[in-house]
Amino acid sequence: MRPANALDRRPVVVAGVGETGPRPEDPRSIPEMVLEAVTEALADARLGYGDIDAVVTASVDLFDGLTASNIAVTEVVGAVMRPETRIAGDGLAAALHAACQIWAGAYDTVLVAAHGKASMSCYQDLTRWALDPILVQPLGLDFLACSGLQASAMAVADPGAERRWAETAAVRRAACATDAASPCTAEAVLESAVAAAPIREGMCAPMADGATAVVLRTVAPAGKGEDVRLAGVGCDLDRHALGDRDLCAWRGLERAAERAYAGAGVADPEDAFDLAEPSCRCAHEEELFLAATGVGAGTLVSPSGGLFAGDVPVAAGLSRLVAAVRHMRGDAGCRRALAHGAWGPAGQAHVVAVLDRGTA
Amino acid sequence: MSEHLTVPIEMALTWRYASGSAMERFAAGLRERRIAALRCDGCGRRYLPPRPLCGNCRLPLAEWVPVADEGALEAWTVMHLPILDGRTGEPREAPYGMGLIRLDGADTTVNHYLDERDPERLAIGMRVRAVWRGDLRGAMDDILHFEVLR
Amino acid sequence: MRRVAVVATGQTEHARSRDDLSQPELVRQAAGRALSDAGLEPDAVDAVVISNMELFEGRALPELWVGEGAFASGKPCLKVATGGTSGTSACIAGFHQVASGLFDVVLVVGFEKHSEGHTQTGMALTDPFWDRAVASGALGNFALSISQYMAERGVTEEHAARVAVKARRNAARNPHAHLRMPDITVEEVLASRILAHPVRMLDMCPQSDGACAIVVAGEDRAAGLCERPAWVKAAVTRHEQPYIGDIDRRLASMRTLREAARRAYELADIREPLGDFDVAEIYEPVSYSELAWYEALGFCEDGEAGRLIEAGRTEMEGDLPVNPSGGVLSTNPVGASGVIRVAEAALQVMGRGGERQVPGVETALATGYGVYAWADVVVLGSA
Repeated sequence: MRPANALDRRPVVVAGVGETGPRPEDPRSIPEMVLEAVTEALADARLGYGDIDAVVTASVDLFDGLTASNIAVTEVVGAVMRPETRIAGDGLAAALHAACQIWAGAYDTVLVAAHGKASMSCYQDLTRWALDPILVQPLGLDFLACSGLQASAMAVADPGAERRWAETAAVRRAACATDAASPCTAEAVLESAVAAAPIREGMCAPMADGATAVVLRTVAPAGKGEDVRLAGVGCDLDRHALGDRDLCAWRGLERAAERAYAGAGVADPEDAFDLAEPSCRCAHEEELFLAATGVGAGTLVSPSGGLFAGDVPVAAGLSRLVAAVRHMRGDAGCRRALAHGAWGPAGQAHVVAVLDRGTA
Repeated sequence: MSEHLTVPIEMALTWRYASGSAMERFAAGLRERRIAALRCDGCGRRYLPPRPLCGNCRLPLAEWVPVADEGALEAWTVMHLPILDGRTGEPREAPYGMGLIRLDGADTTVNHYLDERDPERLAIGMRVRAVWRGDLRGAMDDILHFEVLR
Repeated sequence: MRRVAVVATGQTEHARSRDDLSQPELVRQAAGRALSDAGLEPDAVDAVVISNMELFEGRALPELWVGEGAFASGKPCLKVATGGTSGTSACIAGFHQVASGLFDVVLVVGFEKHSEGHTQTGMALTDPFWDRAVASGALGNFALSISQYMAERGVTEEHAARVAVKARRNAARNPHAHLRMPDITVEEVLASRILAHPVRMLDMCPQSDGACAIVVAGEDRAAGLCERPAWVKAAVTRHEQPYIGDIDRRLASMRTLREAARRAYELADIREPLGDFDVAEIYEPVSYSELAWYEALGFCEDGEAGRLIEAGRTEMEGDLPVNPSGGVLSTNPVGASGVIRVAEAALQVMGRGGERQVPGVETALATGYGVYAWADVVVLGSA
């Protein structure tokens, strides 16, 4: 694969963002939630439905309890008599695909919308149906148990690991504390119930309901300049069986990041990024993220708590992109950010996006 | 040739679905045998079921209009291969008639059962009327079926 | 959009039940055959797109488990699902990915293993407030629309039976097809068990286990990978409103397919479909739908579909052979069916159709159909 030179491609600008924000339980229907996110994103972009050329949605049928789950959102994403395709995976992967459509010259303006409602069912029970049904599922594993196995592998010969993770969790929780009862100290995290040893509940981002939408469009090179631009994207699917992988690293994220860096012209990630918004569902995953992406100590990570504000299935990665864009808009000094989505057992699949301002 | 190994897995999952405010209001109406549609300000189309947006005009739907519980048969069939009843998980006893019914006052059609199952006695354009249950729960099967008015 | 081409295809032998292969193995067989067809090693594939309606197998995120079958480990891999159009949607996604310049070679694999799930349960998970307590299901929905279509356009059960006969006879020359009935007759179709008036058993598509893959390459790679690449001249998608009752006179109007075709023909410079296309692979889940698609695709005027099939103009020896592969009526692994349409259209352009090859194909049409009225239209050409 030839890494595409960023300067050869049409620019892809994040023209608008919108979301419902994560809620432990959103009483609204899926179309209502997605409508809120899309309405906000269009208004933010100062566009109407008529300006959208195509839509890429993200939803997973089993999580929604609906066959062809994107049927439910067709009208509210403006896809009637329009092209729509649905990525049955993380919303940031849908954004990656939308960017491909724009780079391909197929469309100029693409709406991306993702949604999930963890409150509809027992999310972890649903994840069992994503695991190898012959060799793994019969053991009763779910994604959380797989994360536990990963954390357990990392904690071998690393007696300080759990303490560090508890401290990370405490910082993230404090950054988005809305609930006074939620543990914001490392001690409280370490005393919380075991979720999947050695992971404690306090180390896990709470699951939530939400919808997120983003408008991507190409603008002429002589455009506004300071728009946040999707400069590079990368994606990777690692091997499925936990035993086939080095569980102490997210090698898939290394590859995904390399691809995104090549596209964005990032030579050395250590001092390239002002901000990182990872999809880390458990505190130990932050260390895996930092090691795999190579972002340096000077990079601000999850300033608003990351997924600890609420982990919305399917929408999480896209919500990281929105968080990064909002932060960059509010801080002129924040010139380049890395947004990340992940899915599958112990980080089997990853997607990353490099966001920067105008021309590098 | 060796026998294939099979791994049987049973699936039992539950989801809680949110109806949305328009559908909630519609369902409340059903409990009183009232059917109502949402009318689009842009194209005037009166939609059943209710939903947040007119997909054609991309405008929010807000105006409720009353719909009769009788109308015209726009399409029909007689089902011999019953599908699973989504509520009970059991097949419905076949054969049974089904139709797409344009209720007076609505522009979309409603898919529902018919009390007639002889193809010789079904035709597009026939008038049909809802037969309601005694116990109303606020769901589309509060209507048991539509009877052909002869 | 930048020029891309389908340069290779591969598919499994489709059957009611492929007990002999697991889902990843099914995917591997199709993917492996496509790579052999292209003369490519797995490392040469830059990205993979997978199409599958996994709810029918009772699964989620299927690419996690089957991805290795598609040689996707260590690569970008996205999973597309849009009902019946999943396969064509995934192919179009593959076209976009190559045209983006990010990837030189993309493998698209669609699959379904209906025998390993419970499709009916999967399909029953429609809108819980509107479509479940009372529902016709896919078969019933077609039967309803067919009653309107017949009344409006004058097609008969015999016309539909001719479509069913054409499909299964064509399939007899396709070593991959599931239902192959070289001796099937119109009488047999009309005598087959009635499912939902007027649709009979032999009017309906089967449920199949199977997989199909295509290799997509960009302009600078295509010629090196294939003597006669099938160039993508147009790839257009249109989606529709979410409830069966929203769509008036569905089969007769089919506005999504009509508009997608209109736009695709504009992009591909097709003026007169019956004459300009040399072959068509259209997505017909039920015999009657093929007649409706003739009209929607402009092969004939509205009301003339019956005459078109009667005159044999869409038979293998006719003006525009439709579904030499046997179509969805002969083979239907849902996640693969759309890929099969594109693959079969492509191999006609490539001249690799074997016994089902239409002579001298320069321009081919492939369509996808799904949900109530979603439509994909793809035009492939030799230049």
